[in-house]
Amino acid sequence: MRRLQRLALLGVAAAAGMVPPPGPASPQEPAGIFPFEYRRVELENGFRAYLIHAGAPGQIAYVSVVRTGARDEVEPGRTGYAHFFEHMMFRGTKKYPAYDAVIEKMGAFRNASTSNDQTQYYMVAASEYLEQIVDLESDRFMNLDYSEAGFRTEAGAILGEYQQGAYSAYSILDRTVRETAFRKHTYRHQTIGLEADVRAMPEGYDYSRDFFHRFYRPENVVLVLAGDFDFDQAAGLIEQYYGGWEPGYQAPAVPVEPEQTAKRTATVRYNGRTLPILSYNWKAPAWSPTDTRAVATEVLGLVAFGPNSEVYRRLVIQDQRLQSLRAGFGLDRDPTLVSLSATVANPTDVDAMRTELDAAVARARDDLADPKVLADTKSALKYGFLMRLETAQGVAFSLIGPIVSTGTLEAVNDYYRTLESLTAEDIRDAARAILVDRGLTQVTLLQAERRP
Amino acid sequence: MKTIALVAALGLAVGVASACTGDGAAPAGTITLAESGSPFIAFDVWVKAGSQNDPAGKEGLAFLTAQLLSDGSTRQDSYQAIIEKLYPMAAGYGASVDKEMTVFRGVVHRDNLDAYYTLFRNAMLSPAFSEEDFNRVKAQLLNYVERGRRFNRDEELSKELLYWMAYQGTPYAHPVEGYVESVRSITPDDVRDFYARFYARNNVVVGIGGGYPDGFVQRVRADFDALPEATVEPVDAPHPAMPDGAKILIVEKQTDASAISMGFPTPLLRSDPDFAEMSLVNSWFGEHRSSFSHLYNVIREKRGMNYGDYSYIEPFPRGYATQERPVNYARRSNLFEIWIRPISGTGPDDLHDRTLFATRAAWRELDALVKNGLPEDQVERARLYLHNFSVTYGSTVSRRLAYRVDDAFFGLPEPGYLASIRPGLEKLTPASVKAAIDRNLQSRNMWVVFVTSNAEALKAKLLSGEPTFIRYQAEQPPEIVAEDQEIASFPIPVTADDITVLDIGEVFETGR
Repeated sequence: MRRLQRLALLGVAAAAGMVPPPGPASPQEPAGIFPFEYRRVELENGFRAYLIHAGAPGQIAYVSVVRTGARDEVEPGRTGYAHFFEHMMFRGTKKYPAYDAVIEKMGAFRNASTSNDQTQYYMVAASEYLEQIVDLESDRFMNLDYSEAGFRTEAGAILGEYQQGAYSAYSILDRTVRETAFRKHTYRHQTIGLEADVRAMPEGYDYSRDFFHRFYRPENVVLVLAGDFDFDQAAGLIEQYYGGWEPGYQAPAVPVEPEQTAKRTATVRYNGRTLPILSYNWKAPAWSPTDTRAVATEVLGLVAFGPNSEVYRRLVIQDQRLQSLRAGFGLDRDPTLVSLSATVANPTDVDAMRTELDAAVARARDDLADPKVLADTKSALKYGFLMRLETAQGVAFSLIGPIVSTGTLEAVNDYYRTLESLTAEDIRDAARAILVDRGLTQVTLLQAERRP
Repeated sequence: MKTIALVAALGLAVGVASACTGDGAAPAGTITLAESGSPFIAFDVWVKAGSQNDPAGKEGLAFLTAQLLSDGSTRQDSYQAIIEKLYPMAAGYGASVDKEMTVFRGVVHRDNLDAYYTLFRNAMLSPAFSEEDFNRVKAQLLNYVERGRRFNRDEELSKELLYWMAYQGTPYAHPVEGYVESVRSITPDDVRDFYARFYARNNVVVGIGGGYPDGFVQRVRADFDALPEATVEPVDAPHPAMPDGAKILIVEKQTDASAISMGFPTPLLRSDPDFAEMSLVNSWFGEHRSSFSHLYNVIREKRGMNYGDYSYIEPFPRGYATQERPVNYARRSNLFEIWIRPISGTGPDDLHDRTLFATRAAWRELDALVKNGLPEDQVERARLYLHNFSVTYGSTVSRRLAYRVDDAFFGLPEPGYLASIRPGLEKLTPASVKAAIDRNLQSRNMWVVFVTSNAEALKAKLLSGEPTFIRYQAEQPPEIVAEDQEIASFPIPVTADDITVLDIGEVFETGR
């Protein structure tokens, strides 16, 4: 007795299947920034789907978001399993032992990815395959079946994946930042996992089955179907195919990171050739669509250190003492780090550049943002969102962040409303709360001395 | 007939150069792709020059010129002012430079068209060539050629080295970004000269797509007609030599994994009658980043040796970062290329055995393909796959437009490449597929690049001719065990003269 709820929540006029004009950058209508007609489907087992009319005629994007990522890997020795599991999901079921052979016939574009907070599986295909896709995807999420031999073989591919990205200066820097900044929380490790854990993966078959049963449950998965399809038909198929999925999600006890009380520093000597990189990382709150502090923190990165900021203009464009300056102030599901990283053009200039960046950070705490820069930043964020909505896949992907952090699509509209309301004081308040030494992890990457 | 349905629904109209006249016709030197319902306008401005036009000793000049234009001041606006103006639109523009083409691309929402277009146009038509911009862009490029290219992704480096080996003695040999020494030598005057020689009204084709207003195309073309004319000397298409047997480059680098690229010249171009057949063959054999790839199946899926294994009949730079086919990399000469993703050691001293096993496995599969062709059921399988999958090639207005520009490069007639994929697939037969394989592929001769540690040991192993076996984490079925015997001893006939060893520090240091 699964009861289906269909909620038509928003109805902005849009020609079926076409990208509607998003409208000018200045104030959004109260209905929200999200310009497409959509429906929410919720099943009794907790499974939720968003159905969105968007993109080109005749195509659909089918994105399953599992709200489990590297963050959920709490057991020692098991880092990298969320990502490993992503690979196993392509290894078939009893009903469809050769998953990829079915995909191949559809000519679908398929892939998956894993990050801190989520694992997402996506497919772009012709609309005519909708039922086959709902069948195929629901089946593997409910009935995945793989042998230990297949599992061990796939572990080799994971090691290969680890190797292709492991030795760049940025990857090594990232590992050091995480390990220095986090003592307890699982953001301490990269999504790919620790190398020792990756090498031990062939022995983890039983654990992987356990992982599947704990996390691949209807309450923990949200489907985004965007494209050209019939609402009623799609909703019916979702009920038919996902309705029998047994709930049973077991939320992991993700350790809470103890409050940092003093600045932490580390230096990495890179064994290849590199310019020096200065990396500043501050403890920051969890993503929230309605919390002024959280949204102001994301905006702060652009306003204070973005390409339009005073420090960027002076040090990157005019004086060219920095070759690049990047602010990564996007937030995650749990309290995370916001980062500023600078590539120093001349290795003898490292200390001077640190002093300059420290001063820029202090100014962000002391001064109010230029009103034009703030207004332009709001516009940039909104247009950035709207420009990604050209294809069904772009639409679906643009919703993943809010869905992962809150479980709902409506968070998108809330987020942009909060953004619109931000004042220069809100930005400065965020800087005063976040950009402080007691929350700072500062890592410097330098080229190792040459071998004789 | 998905493509046709798509075209009709978008109210799409295509005009190329001076092909049509009358209302809404595209003026000469333009390529248009009108999609009146789209809120976006895309630009794809093609300058008929690329790294093949770099003067000797100034390799990287075409690239640096384009970067300075797309990332520098104009006579109207400082670079800083340009950033400031683009910022609230969340729009930008960039240049891509390949062997033969330089293309400036950008997309904007129609609300911001006028303000955006002014910046975009000025970047190409009235660059300031400011010294500060030049110094900034050159320093970034130097950092890349000195450090990033050699110390970041070995697999991308191995592909670049494959092209360098295969195209020795031709204008395709050097990397688009140049050598360390040549980039160092580039001056602002070099950039000005390159601009004057190639950014000429008779050498620039303007592509515009999406929901642009009436009269816009004429306005844009008139703007670009303000460029002076220039006499552009044509560069002969390269005719790379086929290697005689295996020619191997081993780059010594401190690493735990080996990057592998291999390939040879093929006469195939997108405009050739064989292209549909070879697209199908390549898709079956090594579809990019797809588990449909036969190589992937043999090396990754069955044996778990690495992250993936693919093949190419056209260039596919930065394949690690994207699944989408690149656009605006049209060339008059191509390699058939095999990309084996990094192979790591799983125990002490097995890195080189595994490296050679994977190389032998790929080569052996190519050998079987060349000898046997594709059986009918596999042709049908690949045909169905491509019939559906090729719809994704033109996923955005920007990509559809870029394909039209590439059509112009290849001289492809209406309705262009994207619309011709399905009819081409429908026509081909197992016999025509085999004939295309015979004309375009072979398995005797191969350029091979390894980036690995302990290069001399790998060289010795290759010269010994000894079989290279791998170990597994799980028991393998008998057919895999039997096949492994054949793979491990698949011959790679080489002598010491066929193998070159370079230290990573020497790689792309100079073109001399």
